[in-house]
Amino acid sequence: MTRDVPRDWQPEFERLLDEHQSMVFSLAWRMTGDRGLAEEIAQDVFLELDMHLSHIESPEHALFWLRRVAMSRSADALRRRRVRGVDLWVEIEENHGAPVEERASPLGARLEQLLATLPEPQRAALLLRYQEDLTPEEIARVLDAPLATVKSHLQRGLKLLRSKAQSTLKEFIRGA
Amino acid sequence: MAREPIDPVIPIDRDEEFEGELRQAFARRPAPPSLKRRILDARSRRRADRQHRRMALWQRLAACLVAAAALGGGFAWHHAQEERRGEEARQQVMTALRITNRALNEMNARLAERRRDGNE
Repeated sequence: MTRDVPRDWQPEFERLLDEHQSMVFSLAWRMTGDRGLAEEIAQDVFLELDMHLSHIESPEHALFWLRRVAMSRSADALRRRRVRGVDLWVEIEENHGAPVEERASPLGARLEQLLATLPEPQRAALLLRYQEDLTPEEIARVLDAPLATVKSHLQRGLKLLRSKAQSTLKEFIRGA
Repeated sequence: MAREPIDPVIPIDRDEEFEGELRQAFARRPAPPSLKRRILDARSRRRADRQHRRMALWQRLAACLVAAAALGGGFAWHHAQEERRGEEARQQVMTALRITNRALNEMNARLAERRRDGNE
């Protein structure tokens, strides 16, 4: 938050929505694995932003706030689904498949599927690191977690994802 | 026959390359085109609902104020009426006392006159 913000900067809801809807939607989708649920979460996050608009001080604050609330709402949704005993990632392609043009490349999709198999804290940390390009310090602030914990999640998550990717992709290549 | 080496589709053997692949794979997905419209519609509905609720609250508050004013006015009027009646009653008692006082004075004067006539 080093950029100078004009003193008369006023948050404009529609502009923030235009700028950040894909970020919020992507975070929610990759965290929950459910496209429909991700749309609901994105809607809730932006409606909450509308209610808190007067507290938003700068574009960076808006971005931080949106990331934080999107991650928190996604975690809440996962918790609610776990209580109901629904496996979200089983539903991803069956019920809420994206239109063809929105789908990632086969390898990208495979990595996304592997990401989904990671424990939730590791998934969150990796998502913020590689989707949002945040530093561990920034991730710690967004997730409101100690820096050491975030670093550990990143390290373990990356290691696990890499080993899963190596074995799965080798099988994938053999099968191709 | 010698087995052909597996051609790695993505270079994941080195950290930097794997991280580069992850960055590509986890690029932001575009939001559905209908999402913005749905959010704006929900926002308008919520605002209208909030405004409606605020209006209803003000109406209820105004109704309460009118009722309180009517009750207070009624009570004040009743109190004023009571005071006026009390004052009238006090005035009547004072008049009656003045009449009685005058009558007693006259009686005293007559008795005193009779006593004086009897002594003479």
